[in-house]
Amino acid sequence: MYVFIVFVIVLAAYFAAYYLYGKRVLEQKVVKADPNRLTPAVEKFDGIDYVPANKYVLYGHHFASIAGAGPIIGPATAMVWGWGLPLLWVLFGNVFIGAVHDYLSMMASVRHGGVSIMSVSENVMGRKARYIFLAYVWFALVLVLAAFNSVASSVFVGTPTAATLSLIYMPLALIFGLLVYRAGLRVSYATVITLILIVLAAAYSLSYPTYLTYEAWVVILTIYSFIAAALPVWYLLQPRDYLNAYLLWAFVGIAVVTSVLTLDLALQGPIMTKFAVSGAVIGALPGTTPAKMDIAYFWPVIPLVIACGALSGFHSVVASGTTSKQLANELDALFVGFGAMLAEGAVASLAVILPIAVAWNFAGLETATGFPVLNALTKAGINTTAIKEIIKLPAADRFTNGYGLAAATAFSRVLGPSPFIDLFLGFKTFAAWALSAFVLTTLDTANRLARFAWKEMFDWLEKRNRPAYKALTNRWIASAIPPLLAFVMAYPKVEVIVPETGAKLTVYAYSILWASFSGTNQLLAALALLTAALWVYFVLGIRGRIAWLILVPALFLWLTVTSALVLWLVFIMPYLPLLYQLGAGTIIIISLILDFMLIGLFISAFRRK
Amino acid sequence: MAELKSLLGAAMTILGVLLFIYTFFYVATTKGAVGVKGQVTADPIIGTVGFLLILAGPALWFGEVPVNIKKLVEAKTGRKV
Repeated sequence: MYVFIVFVIVLAAYFAAYYLYGKRVLEQKVVKADPNRLTPAVEKFDGIDYVPANKYVLYGHHFASIAGAGPIIGPATAMVWGWGLPLLWVLFGNVFIGAVHDYLSMMASVRHGGVSIMSVSENVMGRKARYIFLAYVWFALVLVLAAFNSVASSVFVGTPTAATLSLIYMPLALIFGLLVYRAGLRVSYATVITLILIVLAAAYSLSYPTYLTYEAWVVILTIYSFIAAALPVWYLLQPRDYLNAYLLWAFVGIAVVTSVLTLDLALQGPIMTKFAVSGAVIGALPGTTPAKMDIAYFWPVIPLVIACGALSGFHSVVASGTTSKQLANELDALFVGFGAMLAEGAVASLAVILPIAVAWNFAGLETATGFPVLNALTKAGINTTAIKEIIKLPAADRFTNGYGLAAATAFSRVLGPSPFIDLFLGFKTFAAWALSAFVLTTLDTANRLARFAWKEMFDWLEKRNRPAYKALTNRWIASAIPPLLAFVMAYPKVEVIVPETGAKLTVYAYSILWASFSGTNQLLAALALLTAALWVYFVLGIRGRIAWLILVPALFLWLTVTSALVLWLVFIMPYLPLLYQLGAGTIIIISLILDFMLIGLFISAFRRK
Repeated sequence: MAELKSLLGAAMTILGVLLFIYTFFYVATTKGAVGVKGQVTADPIIGTVGFLLILAGPALWFGEVPVNIKKLVEAKTGRKV
């Protein structure tokens, strides 16, 4: 198989999906988007959360918010199945589930005054479903905050120049916001000015690291996520995410150019290794029985491994949370919601899966290209005598090395072989930057979303005791609770013992719960898509083949994720340390109970109506 | 009240910018780094306090609703925001 064939399939799939399915079916026949209908951003404008945004600025926010580490780490991990199956899942999941899920969540929210998809569920599944859903999401967001706070702190300790860049970058984004919204400068001029400043800041940061301990960074990032989530969206969130999107575009752009320059190159990796791989891929600890057994069946466990690149429940919360409150025109929604999700699929397929497949066998790539691949890897600290294939590296390293090698190969074909090693090291660092740049974005977006969910969760109090409701949902108070809880989970370390091997592990407290996150997140995706499907069916009155086109993938996803979680409970959980069983295990059990309750409400809604 | 808020925002912004410039441009260029590896020292703390003040200060200083968005909303809805 050649790069050319995969590249053409991916591009054709995304173009067809956008114009034939997104535009002609979803926008024109299902939602019937109307540019004259006022959006909540305009109708409920408050200058803080409800603020209409330029289509491209909003696209940047949405894209940067939904693209955390997920579209990169997930597909890189899934390469244990070979490149064919993950690619197939990314394309199928992206087009028929992920993009539809994101777009419909956004539009359902827009048509219901900007409330979250969890609150939209009240209209189709009843009040009970709404509050279950909101509590579920709020807790998941606190967990995201804890994990991302910890990840960002670790990144800053490990790469102190990234800390300097992040600290300089934020005020630059703020300057962009002030230039556009206060000084009235055109977006294009402000973009050029700020991008130049960011490039200078990046070059400057490389020479001046900022050193602090992990614990100090956790404290600082807790305060940061509190302030950033309470500030008006136009002030930091919109400009910062918009500028972040340029980094991601550069990252995808290099991947596309790489593919074009290496169209004739054969993929070194296998299209499929086997259908079932080690349980380690879904959280079994090293040395335990499930880690030694091939129990991770591609179906149903794949959504637990690949999230954002194909589909993710977190996206529905962003789409119906921050994004729907900033949409200036209904016609922008397809580009922002559907388009950003396809772009994320392009990240997964062209910037992660394809480069890793190209660079799979290091010696093979060297023979095929004639470039000093082994020398370059040795210079990057990889022992190529012991590690002959990219799959032997941890997931994040598979991505950075695969991206670096593929891009260096492509550009060396134009520039000649001599700069190959420098190009490899440069692209590898760039890939690592791109990976870390999105962590901070997710941190404060998650807190803002938690604030929205919190406010909707207590709306029943408004009529009964207005002062209490106002105090409880106060912007500053609601923004302080989630990061404080996350801090409690990200700061301390705990020691756990693996029962089967007796090995002692020291982990951050949130890790005890984090194992459940991929499951609860994807369950949320299934429930959000079912809600959106019901909204299309009952509220928009869409029937026939189009309705089935949305309902069938929703039910398929629900079945897949539910089966995967049952498999995890049966095969993985019994071998985890006791604290993990009490933490992640309990959450998965509670999630499954809620899952069955909600599917029951879904079926009864269908029967009732 | 609005004036007091604006004054406080201005003070926070100016102080934040000074602390930020001192740390990330003066300290960084003279010492080659901000802080010491594996330790919590005063320089990075001063710098991050400056950073947080810069984040919060201008929002209080300039007010929360940008005029040009306000105008756009008023034109679209036909009502005064």
